[in-house]
Amino acid sequence: MNKIDFLTRRNFIKGLGATGVVFAAPSMATAIAADGIHWDEQVEMAIIGSGFAGLAAGIEAIKHGCKAVTIYEKMAVYGGNSAINGGLFAAPNTPLQQQKGINDSVDIMVADQLKSGRGVADEKLLRHIASHARDALQMTIDAGAEYYPYLQQLGGHSVPRTYQTKVSCGAGITQPLLHECRKVGVTLQNRSKFEGFILTKEGAVAGIRIRYPYYFEDENSGNIVNIRASKGVLVATGGFAQNVNLRMAQDPTLTAEVGCTNAKGATGEAMLEMFRLGAVPVHLAYIQSGPWASPDEGGFGYVSNYAIFNFPHSIAVNCLTGKRFMNEIADRKTRADAELACRDAAGKPLPPIMITSYAHAKEHPTCEKVLKYGVGWKFDSLQAIAKRFNIPLQPLQQQVDEYNAYVKAGDDKQFGKSMAKAKDMYIAAPYTVVRLWPKVHYCQGGVQVNANAEVLDSNTGKAIKGLYAAGEVCGGIHGVSRLGSCSIPECMVMGMTAARSMMGA
Amino acid sequence: MMAMLLAFSSTVVAGETLVAQGKILGRSYHQQLYTQHKCAACHGVDKPSSRAPDNSCLKCHSVDKLAQQTARQGDELWQNPHNNLHYGKDVPCTECHGEHVVKQPLCKDCHTFKFSNFKE
Ligand SMILES: Cc1cc2nc3c(=O)[nH]c(=O)nc-3n(C[C@H](O)[C@H](O)[C@H](O)COP(=O)(O)OP(=O)(O)OC[C@H]3O[C@@H](n4cnc5c(N)ncnc54)[C@H](O)[C@@H]3O)c2cc1C
Repeated sequence: MNKIDFLTRRNFIKGLGATGVVFAAPSMATAIAADGIHWDEQVEMAIIGSGFAGLAAGIEAIKHGCKAVTIYEKMAVYGGNSAINGGLFAAPNTPLQQQKGINDSVDIMVADQLKSGRGVADEKLLRHIASHARDALQMTIDAGAEYYPYLQQLGGHSVPRTYQTKVSCGAGITQPLLHECRKVGVTLQNRSKFEGFILTKEGAVAGIRIRYPYYFEDENSGNIVNIRASKGVLVATGGFAQNVNLRMAQDPTLTAEVGCTNAKGATGEAMLEMFRLGAVPVHLAYIQSGPWASPDEGGFGYVSNYAIFNFPHSIAVNCLTGKRFMNEIADRKTRADAELACRDAAGKPLPPIMITSYAHAKEHPTCEKVLKYGVGWKFDSLQAIAKRFNIPLQPLQQQVDEYNAYVKAGDDKQFGKSMAKAKDMYIAAPYTVVRLWPKVHYCQGGVQVNANAEVLDSNTGKAIKGLYAAGEVCGGIHGVSRLGSCSIPECMVMGMTAARSMMGA
Repeated sequence: MMAMLLAFSSTVVAGETLVAQGKILGRSYHQQLYTQHKCAACHGVDKPSSRAPDNSCLKCHSVDKLAQQTARQGDELWQNPHNNLHYGKDVPCTECHGEHVVKQPLCKDCHTFKFSNFKE
């Protein structure tokens, strides 16, 4: 392909922006030429997005000698989805696993992920991430992140390998990383929205256009600033679960009425801009809903972490039948689909409930919150539960007895749930109950990257020079369904990888 | 401008600190700024056409002091709006407080905590 083709294909607007023109509509966003442009700022590395991927990249960049790295964040606050996330971090061969005598390896973790990916996950990238997950965990600990002294076994994982921050939230990682960034000299700039690339004649990314100061959803706020990035640009802008049009274009069932766990800024425009530049779109239609969310609170709320912790030793019950309807620790897609099938006689959604022994639920600090803020309830008897949720009592009673027999036998004849984590954990009074209904949670799809975090060009199959991507904005790594707690290691490892690639390390 | 219009058309009743200051809404304890037409104190210019920069409030108010005033105990430790779990002390003031408009605490997007002393 010759250069002329290349430039036309990329819908080049020559010279625009050089005069500092303010672009009215986001639809104007396209790449412009670096030739003769006025650079307002100059950095070595420009990172867009301040979640796990961006923060980890910033720290790693400085470690490898980067002298000028700035993280641009469009929202007023830093951290994106990472700052509101559940703080669950999976890694193989960790100190806690060694301490607890859990036999795990990169191979076992990758095998679990490939299974949930249903044959279309990217094994090479999963292996790269699993191999470096422990280093990423260490980076968070070095920065001051604190974890519970135990591991959890999440749905689809064959062994306990998931750490959780002591605050049960990703902020237990983003806050320490943010402080570390400031300490080592990474510049952070909020209200800075990425609007487009600036390209050299050869089509390499030379810089970016940032709208500053940008006020979310006021697309005309601020002015355009041209930023030169001599070593490269890392796009770490997360997923697009909050972009209802875009998610409905992939999956028409994900209407505005379906809840969403994401931060408001998860709208995906930077990903679209990479597609305009020629990046390969992968798996955009694989949009995951979280099966542990509650219809009784906004976003991720408190129930999600509560349910994630308790699923292994709880039962999920269909209110219409009083019976279990799924393996409570199957992968997310299996469970979300099963929950969505819980409907009343007229076909209307009838959120199922999760029943847990209070004695077990109270082992995790979220239990107290769930009860305190009225999004979960305590009951002394199955009668009371049946009455409250209009469940036929007899089948419910039978179901609990039947399940308790599986606990005793260590074998779930109904749904084949792994009972290792439910050993001696019978469902007994008093109980705690939450309601379940899936919320749009995670975008498996995005741009294709290689194991250097380089963004690949759909025409040439080669890396687009100067352009890197990491985190949820990337696609294809997890296949159809990502396993819980596997995004943090992915974001961190790929962010670190991108920084090393740019620094030639 | 948009913000002012919103303020007047809003059906939410502002807290008693948010009162009419001539033609716009403002805080009663900022009254001097209004009577002396000191828009520049926050906006940098006398006839503002854009928002005041995020650091405007901090010329007079200290985040550390505010964080002390709104400190919470025990399991609510991190629900301190001025030093919270997700963003520490980094949330720009105007994300929760509007000088000319009624606003809601950012936390409300996901949580049901009560902020009984909250000034819109
Ligand atoms: C509620 C919740 C709980 C979760 N819990 C877990 C968990 O426990 N474990 C796990 O492994 N995964 C979890 N996930 C998934 C995981 O948190 C996300 O996949 C991950 O945080 C994505 O990180 P990131 O760095 O790619 O993007 P983000 O953290 O989303 O950061 C991207 C940032 O880029 C900004 N941005 C977007 N567009 C632009 C633009 N045009 N210009 C400038 N900035 C822009 C955004 O505002 C945002 O701040 C959870 C997700 C959610 C929503």
